[in-house]
Amino acid sequence: MTDSIVEPFLKGNTGRNTRGILRLSILCLIAAAAIASRLFSVILDPWFNFRATKYLVANGFYDFWDWFDDRTWHPLGRVTGGTLYPGLMVTSGAIYHALRALTIPVDIRNICVLLAPGFSGLTAFATYLFTNEMSTSPSAGLLAAAFMGIAPGYISRSVAGSYDNEAIAIFLLVFTFYLWIKALKLGSAMWGALCALFYGYMVSAWGGYVFITNLIPLHVFVLVCMGRFSPRLYVSYCTWYSLGTLASMQIPFVGFLPIRSSEHMSALGVFGLLQLIGFVEFVRSGVPSKQFTTLLRGFVLAVFTIAFGGLVLLTVSGVIAPWTGRFYSLWDTGYAKIHIPIIASVSEHQPTAWPAFFFDLNLLIWLFPAGVYLCFLKLADEQVFVVVYAILASYFSGVMVRLMLTLTPIVCVAAALVLSHLLDTYLTMTSPDAPAEGASDATNGAAKKAIKQDGLRSMRSPLVGIYTTFSKGSVVSALTAYLLLFVLHCTWVTSNAYSSPSVVLASRMPDGSQHIIDDYREAYQWLRQNTKTDAKIMSWWDYGYQIGGMADRPTLVDNNTWNNTHIATVGKAMSSSEEVSYPIMRQHEVDYVLVVFGGLLGYSGDDINKFLWMVRIAEGIWPDEVKERDFFTERGEYRVDGGATETMKNSLMYKMSYYNYHTMFPAGQCQDRVRGVKMPDQGPVLNTLDEAFTSENWIIRIYKVKDLDNVGRNHTAAASFERGNKKKKTTKRRGPKVLRVE
Amino acid sequence: MRWILSFLLLAFLATVQAVSSAGYKLLVVLEELADKSKYSKYLGDLEARGFSISYESPKSDKVALFTLGERAWDHVLILPPKAKGLGPLLTPKLLLDFINAGGNILVALSASQPTPSGLISLLLELDIHIPTDRSALVIDHFNYDTLSAAEKHDVVLVPRPDAIRPDVKNFFKGDGKGGEAIAFPRPVAQTLGNASPLLTPLIRAPRSAYSYSPKDDVDSVEDPFAVGQQLSLITTMQARNSARFTVVGSSELLEDTWFDAKVKRSVGMNGAPAGNEFKTSNQAFAKEVTGWTFKETGVLKVGQIEHHLNETGSEIVSNPKIYRVKNNVSYSIELSEYSWDKWIPFTPPTGDIVQLEFSMLSPFHRLPLKVAETTLTSTIYTTSFKLPDQHGIFNFKVNYKRPFYTNVEEKNTVTVRHFAHDEWPRSWVITGAWPWIAGIGATVTGWVAFVGLWLWSKPVPLKGAKGGKKNL
Amino acid sequence: MRFSSLLPSALVLGAGIAEAASGWNFDEAIISVSAKGAAGAAGAFKDKLSDHVPLSKPVTLGQTETLKIILTATENGEPKRPHQAFLLLRDQDTGLEETFPLQTKESGKGKVDFATLKSQKDLPIQLLTSSQPLRATLLLASFGSTQAFANHVFNLDIQTDPNVAKPKYEKPLRYGQLGEINHIFKADPKSGPVIISLLFTVAVVAAVPILFGSWVLLGANLSHLPKATAAAPVSHSLFFSSILGMEGIFFLYYYNWSLFEMLPVAGVIGLVTFLSGSKALSEVQSRRLAGER
Repeated sequence: MTDSIVEPFLKGNTGRNTRGILRLSILCLIAAAAIASRLFSVILDPWFNFRATKYLVANGFYDFWDWFDDRTWHPLGRVTGGTLYPGLMVTSGAIYHALRALTIPVDIRNICVLLAPGFSGLTAFATYLFTNEMSTSPSAGLLAAAFMGIAPGYISRSVAGSYDNEAIAIFLLVFTFYLWIKALKLGSAMWGALCALFYGYMVSAWGGYVFITNLIPLHVFVLVCMGRFSPRLYVSYCTWYSLGTLASMQIPFVGFLPIRSSEHMSALGVFGLLQLIGFVEFVRSGVPSKQFTTLLRGFVLAVFTIAFGGLVLLTVSGVIAPWTGRFYSLWDTGYAKIHIPIIASVSEHQPTAWPAFFFDLNLLIWLFPAGVYLCFLKLADEQVFVVVYAILASYFSGVMVRLMLTLTPIVCVAAALVLSHLLDTYLTMTSPDAPAEGASDATNGAAKKAIKQDGLRSMRSPLVGIYTTFSKGSVVSALTAYLLLFVLHCTWVTSNAYSSPSVVLASRMPDGSQHIIDDYREAYQWLRQNTKTDAKIMSWWDYGYQIGGMADRPTLVDNNTWNNTHIATVGKAMSSSEEVSYPIMRQHEVDYVLVVFGGLLGYSGDDINKFLWMVRIAEGIWPDEVKERDFFTERGEYRVDGGATETMKNSLMYKMSYYNYHTMFPAGQCQDRVRGVKMPDQGPVLNTLDEAFTSENWIIRIYKVKDLDNVGRNHTAAASFERGNKKKKTTKRRGPKVLRVE
Repeated sequence: MRWILSFLLLAFLATVQAVSSAGYKLLVVLEELADKSKYSKYLGDLEARGFSISYESPKSDKVALFTLGERAWDHVLILPPKAKGLGPLLTPKLLLDFINAGGNILVALSASQPTPSGLISLLLELDIHIPTDRSALVIDHFNYDTLSAAEKHDVVLVPRPDAIRPDVKNFFKGDGKGGEAIAFPRPVAQTLGNASPLLTPLIRAPRSAYSYSPKDDVDSVEDPFAVGQQLSLITTMQARNSARFTVVGSSELLEDTWFDAKVKRSVGMNGAPAGNEFKTSNQAFAKEVTGWTFKETGVLKVGQIEHHLNETGSEIVSNPKIYRVKNNVSYSIELSEYSWDKWIPFTPPTGDIVQLEFSMLSPFHRLPLKVAETTLTSTIYTTSFKLPDQHGIFNFKVNYKRPFYTNVEEKNTVTVRHFAHDEWPRSWVITGAWPWIAGIGATVTGWVAFVGLWLWSKPVPLKGAKGGKKNL
Repeated sequence: MRFSSLLPSALVLGAGIAEAASGWNFDEAIISVSAKGAAGAAGAFKDKLSDHVPLSKPVTLGQTETLKIILTATENGEPKRPHQAFLLLRDQDTGLEETFPLQTKESGKGKVDFATLKSQKDLPIQLLTSSQPLRATLLLASFGSTQAFANHVFNLDIQTDPNVAKPKYEKPLRYGQLGEINHIFKADPKSGPVIISLLFTVAVVAAVPILFGSWVLLGANLSHLPKATAAAPVSHSLFFSSILGMEGIFFLYYYNWSLFEMLPVAGVIGLVTFLSGSKALSEVQSRRLAGER
């Protein structure tokens, strides 16, 4: 038997070491696979984080803390240090300085690019640790780590160059949960403190920390409701809450939110509840009277109700900030569209389409319920956590595409639990001995009795093994095939869907060769080389970070959407007529306007398709001046061709998109390939802007804002004169006569 | 030898610079060079002031305003041509481009020679209107020269103009004694649109004047083109780039004849009896108008602009890029005015002040600048103020635009940042924080004492039911 | 401008009389104001104009009314048609003036009638919004040497209908001095009354002696100190002093240290605390196991 050779390595102390080494090397391989699968293409994005990191590295921590960025949100500027989660930049900066200290010269950009893949390796490890707390089978952890390493749902946010908060946040999320489970299991203040520490790190890194802030209290609350209050729970939760809240308050962007905003109130409430219960338990242990116990229960209930009422009262009166719009949109997917169009306009905030689940998680998604079911079977404290997490994350991921990210870890864990359970059952080399006749009879007899007594009796004495090699073989090979398919799927998805950066578009030529459309970088390069360094660029906020990073020019608005009014101002300028837009642009000292136009190429993510969001956001602030209805025809169509409404045709965005577009086509054949409509032969007229640059495929069009006319005419008159039209001599007077005054 | 050459060049440059702040190259457009003699005194004055004059016919090739895309002349004087048009090198668009390129233009109109249509459309672009009937002229039955126009009343005598507003400097008042008169023989009326602040009527017709066309042989005017003070005889337009454009209603005003002519006032509207004969002030007035148009007067220059932190204990760094909210800041600007041949300190006319704006989107501060120092050639204006409690990208802006002065629009951008984390008052200064600081102190004391007790306290025997707290 | 041109017109009065005999003048001037569509209706205003004295009362012109002047111009006493027959209306606030040429009609016998129709619609917007009555001057003049006529004949009071919105007149942009602006600062945040702060501070500080007192009351002591120092002198002293030191570091961080000054020192002290603490605490444990605690 081959077993005999490896036998010594698998038994006793040596065996433990061997397994340890084996596990370690498997984990290393998983981490390597996780990193490798994220290296399909490397384009740094978002640029803002990179810029911030560079600033941190160049100017040091305290300057970064107090950084006032005067190149974004012109002319307001951005108190960057106080409006970002610094965790990502500080992490990169720390790695950079650590490597420098080890005399490894490395460019900060390389750290930024490789941070996300690097941390995905750590995430895999954290998932391994987390899963090990859930299952006694060591294979579960390894499987979960492997899943986590290559699940597309996570890769989507952590490919090389994807230098966003999520890059490190998912690791912190999983690791914080692991520490929480550890603390809860051991009832240890130390683990609780560690958990709080990593929670603080998480707060510094990603706004999604609120998920932890609510999930842990919910877990505790469920445990308390199940009657599982214990000193372990008390110690671990109180340690975590008090230290974690203090830690989170150190981040300027968070500040006093943990005690002022509704999102954090559940944690505070559970903290209070635990004190109450702890107190009652203490009193009860001293006073063993049944009536008194009932009285205490009532007391707890009363205090809880009063506290809850007080909370509501404070929220209504405004002392505690009411739920933010983003939070409401988690419960009502239609809410954002009506009240906070700026949130709804982000594609990541759209409800998830069903295929996305399968696309991002593949076989894991159908193993997931089985994993949750397995947790129900055991239902220790930590399994309750998995169940609570699964339910909450499933809901949220259905509401927002972005939150798929928080679902992925638990899906990996649950699926790994199932698979390890299955494999543990089916991969046992030795078939169990056939049960003795008598025993079998006894079992049968017992079973017969059980059928009479209780239908589920058979579950009480579970099967002890699989007997036939065939069933073992078939199940195992099927599972192997599934796993291989999963790997295949992950690789495919990663290379095709998640590794194409937004700034470079790829298309297939008729002969199958790949054609790279590089208009964005072309345009940003143009801006960098042909405009003054302080030329202000107005564009829709989607391109703010890219312009700031790649073109190094100040922008009016960018992807950090903290100031709705300012974004609405840009929306108004885009959706109003030139006469209205021009003063706005002058006031904001705009030098160039950048629009994205996909009509020639059929690039659907262009500004005309986003235009209604601009209108809606502007309408939210100026309901009298910008009206969404005016952009729809009588019959309620959103048209850009000859049948477009006058408001649409006069809007700056429309004019900038289609200016001179008809000259590309022979008469009568002008076509917009995105909207699939025929455009009129007469293009719009621009009076206040000059076309400055149009990229190769017309995706980016840049316009220069004209100065005021030198001799005091309005722009329409001046442009008309430029075109060679003579001014009408007899201008008929309208209204009462006006005398010239000085 | 070389040094002599360079010395000569230097001397030449010095004389050149003495002429106008905007250069010496003057193009005079007149149809027949023979007409030059009519304006000999006027042109002689110009030459004496250092202008180098080229005379070209509008039809000539050399009249081009631009050579190789660069402005070929600094100033252009267009005397009324006989032909109906100005030719292809002086189209309204080219003239406008010339203004946009910073060139100054003086146009003289004449009722006897119809204004070219190109000029008319240029004037229309500038919102200056002249009668559609090209022979229309301005007459005044109350202010005419009884010597030369006793019957026709078409030589209008106008006193030196008053300032158009009390707070605007008057460059055209002569020695300011009054009693002078400028003769406008057969002027062409102009009216101005009300919208543009760039237009200014330099001299307006008397109340009783009106424009009519001698061709319409009617006994009585019923629908005159313009009347009274709405009627401008000389109109100026100063573009945003400070290029100047002047329309003189009567070209004869500049002729030698009227420089020397003696005139006698008619009975005025107030019934004042006709006075004695006296010489016109045309020559002096023409010099003032031309000098202004060709930027010999009313030109402002910004010297040094400086702003710095004005806090006690801070070292002075000139023109920093960044300030903090609520910083005290000083700003100063040096202004000079060009007066005929030299730079002199600029002082705004009484009733007017230079103002500084500190603005982001809209002004947060608009403060008067005070004279800090006067040098030989400039005045230094300064002010100090506290930056607003709003962070952002702000501009120090001096936007001094006044009629007849070139535009001063100076924008210096600075960033105003928020308080850094260590610039707030420390917590011990804030009285409200004392209980909390005391709380920290109490906790620390308690903790240290507790550690000591934990390490070294000996249990005491229980007293009664309650035990010692360290009885764990 | 406005002052200089106001003055001559004030002088018109006296001069007009002197020149009345020769030169241009008028006869039988009748001014009438009638409502639209009801010409000559009762209540319509009608008066005779004098060539040297303005009407004592201002003529009022309502929203829908029409002003009409009929006169016969004369040159040296003979009726004749002048080339210039203007009615000047001056806004006395601003000195702005608008001129209305009179329509002249030749009638028989060399007599000339002038008529003018004027309603508020014909007036420039700036005059409509004037606060004072408009000053009306009549000009009669022609070529040649005949003395022209110019005299203040009446005042015109424009009455606007309060029910109808006044025409809006926005002053056009003219360059000049602008109003001063001073930024209004937000009020600085203020602490509450000092006395209350002090009260609470005292209360908080008082908690320390109370705590110590109650500990003493409960029998707290340091009797094991010699024993402990004898058993593990180094670790006990290090442990306690490192805890004190840590508090000192916290104080320095609060006072003026930066994070990067504080972290390394805190790390060293923390290590000392950890190492000495485990020794010291196991000594404490050994005492507990020995039943001494």
